[in-house]
Amino acid sequence: MKAVFQLLRINWKETLRSPIWHRKALVNVFLVLMFLYLGGNLLALGIVLDNILMSISVDGIDYKTYGSSWVLRRLNQYLLYYFFADFILRYFMQKLPTMAIQPLLHLPIRRSSIAHLMLVKSVFSPFNWIHLLLLFPFVLELFGNLPFSQAFGWTLGMMGTVLLMNYILLYIKRKAEVSTWSYIGLVSAFVLILMLDWFDWVDFNVVSSAIFNPLFLYPWLAVFVLVCTAGAYMINLRFLIKNMYMSRISKTKASEVDYVGDGLLSKLGLVGKLAELELKLIWRNKRPRSVLLITLLFLGYGLFVFPNPEFQGNYMMYMMFSIIITGMFILNYGQYLMGWDGAYFDHILTRSTTLETYYHSKFIVFALVSTVSMILAIPYVYFGWEILGMLFSVFLFNIGINSFIVMFFGSFNPKKIDLSKGTVFNWQGVGAAQFLLAFPVFGFPVGIYFVSLLFTSEVGAMLILGGVGLIGLAGTKLWIRLLASWLRSQRYEIASDFRNT
Amino acid sequence: MEVRIENIVKSYGDYQAVNIESLHIPAGESFGLVGNNGAGKTTLFRALLDLIETDSGRCFIGVKPTKNEVLWKQKTGSYLDENFLIGHLLPEEYFDFVASIHGLSADDLADKLKTFETLFNGEIIGNKKLIRDLSKGNQKKVGIAAALIFNPSVLILDEPFANLDPSTQIRLKELLKTLKDERGVTLLISSHDLNHVTEVCERIVLLEKGKIINDIQTSSDTLKDLEDYFSKV
Repeated sequence: MKAVFQLLRINWKETLRSPIWHRKALVNVFLVLMFLYLGGNLLALGIVLDNILMSISVDGIDYKTYGSSWVLRRLNQYLLYYFFADFILRYFMQKLPTMAIQPLLHLPIRRSSIAHLMLVKSVFSPFNWIHLLLLFPFVLELFGNLPFSQAFGWTLGMMGTVLLMNYILLYIKRKAEVSTWSYIGLVSAFVLILMLDWFDWVDFNVVSSAIFNPLFLYPWLAVFVLVCTAGAYMINLRFLIKNMYMSRISKTKASEVDYVGDGLLSKLGLVGKLAELELKLIWRNKRPRSVLLITLLFLGYGLFVFPNPEFQGNYMMYMMFSIIITGMFILNYGQYLMGWDGAYFDHILTRSTTLETYYHSKFIVFALVSTVSMILAIPYVYFGWEILGMLFSVFLFNIGINSFIVMFFGSFNPKKIDLSKGTVFNWQGVGAAQFLLAFPVFGFPVGIYFVSLLFTSEVGAMLILGGVGLIGLAGTKLWIRLLASWLRSQRYEIASDFRNT
Repeated sequence: MEVRIENIVKSYGDYQAVNIESLHIPAGESFGLVGNNGAGKTTLFRALLDLIETDSGRCFIGVKPTKNEVLWKQKTGSYLDENFLIGHLLPEEYFDFVASIHGLSADDLADKLKTFETLFNGEIIGNKKLIRDLSKGNQKKVGIAAALIFNPSVLILDEPFANLDPSTQIRLKELLKTLKDERGVTLLISSHDLNHVTEVCERIVLLEKGKIINDIQTSSDTLKDLEDYFSKV
């Protein structure tokens, strides 16, 4: 028992000393605002939930005749979907509660104590608590309108289900981490369920009702849910204890990587060689790779805008979305520019590559990915030549002007990025510069566009935008020299920051 | 190439990490830096490599100060810590990259890597393992080899023997001696291991709290003198 308290104390210290508290206040303020906003939304939804359910009139059943229990029945029809969505959200976002187990394993602490603690800790995940925000106002209504036993049974059942989902997820996610097959099985199960629903082979509304209605019709059944939750807890516990060995936990199984020699780019000399290095960085690490994926996804963004009759002929809109379509990579990857190289910045400084070469290689990578995006965006010509024209003008602007703006902001007080970490909820590298970045990147082209409109047509303004991009492109050498001399004056500070984190 | 340090002071707040009036290491000398933790060995090397900004003073590798210069980098091999390694590359790719910076042809590189075969012991090349997935000792081998492949005139290594297995330590010692004897490389190493450093270096400087305490030419008594000193501190 004493050991458990010691463990709790260590855990508490871990929380207190988490790097979260050391990051820039601005980031934390932003996060708090975001959480308040999301939480407020959920709470508001919870408050009007019963009204929404009442307003859905199905089969001509009148709410007034059947009373509150009808609202509940209605909700129960959808709960299965709700928990399915919840599961998917959790699967991608909820983190497994981890503890630095390695330093504990050799101490005389029972493995079960550690496992219990990890499982209890998981209850405090926000993914369990967001349900309360949504359900709390609704549950209050329930207690006011239904017999106590019914309201109590349903509420208890709901809370049990949330916890059950929590433990099912933990188990599946841990299992999927250990074996690839369970991951494949999981994806197949998802696809199967979606197909069953899509083709109406199974009516999930009926299934959902069948599962959740009994909770208030026969309130004692809530105990059954709790038993299931306890069962899931026990299964997790056994799994954890069994797998709590160094080799399983620190899954540092290095993947084999094939040698990749010089590519086409290295024909450009050292600059190209550095650019190829950058591409390897992007390809071999999770977080930058997902940036690439996001870039690809945003290529399709235009589909929501260009065919939309509401935006027909709205060049301003075309411009904004074109910036994203061909510039997503520059923005998203470039904002951390040097942070990606944080782990070997000393190497860059001690080699005889000049900082000009360093920036030049970054520029090449930006231009390359943007050009590929541009080529892939050519089919948008289907929606009109003016759209292709705008895409191309903005493409020129993106590589000619925006890439250098982003490089400047990315070199501004950069933070080292741990390449081995994933993307979800990863705020590493985010600072004030990353928030401010969007203003010039979108602001400049908008400004140029409006000024141009004073004396020319919309097409003319579009051409001027492209022209400015070309001029920027012509000045590449100059911009790079300016950036390099700026970095030269900052390098000691940046290098020592990188070394100390 | 010779290495010179003039009036280098580096402090963090009130704490003086390095304070050295003058230190001259002639070309071809093998120079060892010893001292306890926090004596300022790494800080001194970083200052020399222009990785930190010093409060005052100048460092020279060759005839020109290292600050804001690039030329000395072509002739200086260095490995201080993992911050010199690009973790997401295979060792081969990393060597390729360093070689191309120094204008080494693929054949020259292949020849050079052959001379490291015994040092690598088959654990570095052709194993499809990224540098970040290598053990500490193997990472160090990669770093040291990368500092050597372009035939530098000056070699700066921080704790080269730490984390290496005994066989590799012996091989590395042989390698460093040949570099000095046959190619006249100026060698700067720091070490906690008094045995190794007295064996490899002809001159040893003792650092304490950033200051030079003792500057000795290695003789048969040196090891005993050093052991006496460190047991008293």
